[in-house]
Amino acid sequence: MEDEHLISKKDVLEKMGISYGQLYRWKRKGLIPEIWFIRRSTFTGQETFFPEDKIVERIERIKNMKGEHALDDLADVISEHVNAKIQIAFGKLKHLGWFDEELGRAAGIVIVENKDGTLSLRDALRLAVLKKLRRSARDEEIALASRTLDGAIDKAGIDLTVVEGKTLHLLRKQLSGGGISAEISVIVIAMGELVVDPELRRVDSVDLAGMLQQVKLDLAACCAPEDVNDESSRNQKDGREEHE
Amino acid sequence: MSEERKSVSMSGAGVIAGGSYSRVSISGAGKINGDLYAEELKMSGAGKVDGHCEVVQLTVSGTGKFSKAVIADEMKVSGVAKVDGLVKVKELKCSGTFRAGENISSEYVKVSGQLHVGGDLEAEIFRASGGFDIRGLLTADRIEIHPGGRCRAQEIGGAKIDVRRYGSRDHAGVLGSLMRALSSAWGGEVEADLIEGDEIYLENTSADVVRGKQIQIGPNCKIKLIEYSESLTVHDDSDVEKQTKI
Repeated sequence: MEDEHLISKKDVLEKMGISYGQLYRWKRKGLIPEIWFIRRSTFTGQETFFPEDKIVERIERIKNMKGEHALDDLADVISEHVNAKIQIAFGKLKHLGWFDEELGRAAGIVIVENKDGTLSLRDALRLAVLKKLRRSARDEEIALASRTLDGAIDKAGIDLTVVEGKTLHLLRKQLSGGGISAEISVIVIAMGELVVDPELRRVDSVDLAGMLQQVKLDLAACCAPEDVNDESSRNQKDGREEHE
Repeated sequence: MSEERKSVSMSGAGVIAGGSYSRVSISGAGKINGDLYAEELKMSGAGKVDGHCEVVQLTVSGTGKFSKAVIADEMKVSGVAKVDGLVKVKELKCSGTFRAGENISSEYVKVSGQLHVGGDLEAEIFRASGGFDIRGLLTADRIEIHPGGRCRAQEIGGAKIDVRRYGSRDHAGVLGSLMRALSSAWGGEVEADLIEGDEIYLENTSADVVRGKQIQIGPNCKIKLIEYSESLTVHDDSDVEKQTKI
């Protein structure tokens, strides 16, 4: 993180032509990760900085997404109910290439076609992580990663923000002696940089918070508002104006 | 969740196990051991949920304690409530005292009592006429504060931020002047390290830094630094150490 170029909040607003309101809204919607907000004291008082490349790329993406209203609606549904049981249609995941049967089996997710054919955001995240791991991991390692990730989320209860700042690592170690050699695989979910003994080899790493963001953005990009079966919450919100 | 769910009413002292219920009402002293899922939870006596609490309607008019997260559509606190975990609701109305150990997120928040938040408070609309103490960030699209006590947040950020004493504009008449007299007697004011927004109007506010597009500083403010990009006006009865156009 140290060698990344930082940009102050007011410079971001000016460069990207957005308002404070938009930036705070996107932050609330979970479209901009908390860890990108870097608070520093400067001679003009407390200021917030961002990793420049990341924030610029992210804001471009958000701005390109079919107008702010649609985005808000979608983000509402996608991140607000991160904890709850948001359901994502399998069809969409397949369309995005997030899902295939083999991976589903490894993750222990069974497609029940006769039901409404949906799964939770949490499972979508799990699938996305596993998909990334598959480039280097073996089947049993994928299953292990799936269980580890599930355990981590379970332990925190209902909140996916538990993944914030954390990275999932796949490590392997070769053991040999007496003419027999074996390899053990280890899955670790940790905050920040991981220091391990030199014999342990890091095979792959996945930034979990980044992945969650990715899943949300990709889903937002491919969902149309009418696909999202959460009509009630939106109506309630519209009625809020004359609430007092 | 099963199809048939029971309703429970505890009017003496009682303990029930967590699980799915239709309605749970506690008017004596009651405790729920484990995660609770219900349509309605009413605490008018002394109640405690030892686990997650996921309900549609939550009303605390007595005392209510929650050891983990609270998820609800509507949460009303007119008594005393304490939540140790996260609070995720659609609507939060607090006319009593509410203490949240971690973050609160709600579409709509109205505070006329006292609100304490250990983390951040996120909302679309935040209205306060009572007092609050938010350790982290207070963010909402619209923030309207009529300080009725000490209102403190580390940072306040949103599109439109409006802090004014009762009766300073839109509360005319007897009630307005009464509220004005009371609020100045109580010395309600807003304190923050940083306030950021597109349209900002402030009265009775102390802040280190205020940043925004259009900033209007009304009476009784103490601000160390203002950075604005479009317009700025400062009332004579306010103290601004430094201002810059950016």
